[in-house]
Amino acid sequence: MSIFFTKKRIIILAIIIICGILLGRFAIRLVMNVMLGGTAFGGNFL
Amino acid sequence: MMKEKKKGNKRGLFVLLCIGVFMISFVSSAIFKMTYTPSELKKYSVEWKDEMGSIYTDISYGDEESNKFDLYVPADNSKKAYGLVVYLHAGGFTTGDKADDVKMLQWLCSKGYVAVGINYTLCDDEHPTANAYTQSIDIKNAMPVVVEEARKLGYSIDKMAISGGSAGGCLALLYAYRDKDEAPVPVTMVFEAVGPSSFYPEDWSNYGFNQDTDEAKEGAASLFSIMVGNELTTDMFGTKEYDEAIKDTSALLWVDEKTVPTVMAYGRYDTMQPYLGSVRLNKALEENGVEHEYFVMEHSGHGLQNDNKIYAEYMEAVEEYLAKYLPVK
Repeated sequence: MSIFFTKKRIIILAIIIICGILLGRFAIRLVMNVMLGGTAFGGNFL
Repeated sequence: MMKEKKKGNKRGLFVLLCIGVFMISFVSSAIFKMTYTPSELKKYSVEWKDEMGSIYTDISYGDEESNKFDLYVPADNSKKAYGLVVYLHAGGFTTGDKADDVKMLQWLCSKGYVAVGINYTLCDDEHPTANAYTQSIDIKNAMPVVVEEARKLGYSIDKMAISGGSAGGCLALLYAYRDKDEAPVPVTMVFEAVGPSSFYPEDWSNYGFNQDTDEAKEGAASLFSIMVGNELTTDMFGTKEYDEAIKDTSALLWVDEKTVPTVMAYGRYDTMQPYLGSVRLNKALEENGVEHEYFVMEHSGHGLQNDNKIYAEYMEAVEEYLAKYLPVK
């Protein structure tokens, strides 16, 4: 029986989690900026 | 063959897992961003407890349904006199409610102030003629009633500060600059965020009114007429007549050497009201030697949403000014 969570897959999942977290914050920032004005980067962390 | 199929199933399962994990981390992160209060701002709100004080809601100050205020009084009623802090809600003169600022009012009350949130008649289908001027008169009319109601509850008010956000900021500035001499108690300071303080088309690039076209000028005249409650025409722009017509709703035009100390915050990329108007106001305060603090959120718009660090500095300045001009005895 082969292992499902190989080292490679764990790294891929970690990268996906980090991307999800960053993009989630970024999406909210962009929506807020569209409504209220503001820059995509700078100031708060995303 | 079976081995390859098994491998393919595992790969498919892993892809699904990746999509699920991405969705969960994306949504969790978005919710966290929307609900999390940064540590530097946590001290500007309190978990309200009954032992902190009492809240009296919907006290009437006029005939209109909206002419109501909520009064927050501290538990300790043994002092000879109290400072009053008024906080006026946001909402573009057309929406919003005093209940929107519960956290701010509770925080102010927890510091020992009598705090009040006042509703004013909004410009809506039922009140199409309501505007910034009529709303400023609502606030002016409310103030003696607020002070009297506080007195009835055993809290004698000896001075006050006024504040607000956006439309509330505009009305707070107007009361502090225009109406302070008629206030029931001395107005010692004002603090506000993103409140429009003047109506010069060239500042309102956020609506394209700075463009030199008939359409832009007519748009500005039309919107400003509604906001200030006076008939404005394009040929009035840049004249003394125009300044006179907007004066009653433009805090900027009331700035002089006697203007009360001011703390204000604006977003550089504000799309609702003009950042350049705040530059004008800051200049007028400087030229008249008025003690003030001007915070520009370099990455933010109308919500001051991208500069928590500077927002915390703004709140620190508010605390300092309150301690200096409206000290809790």
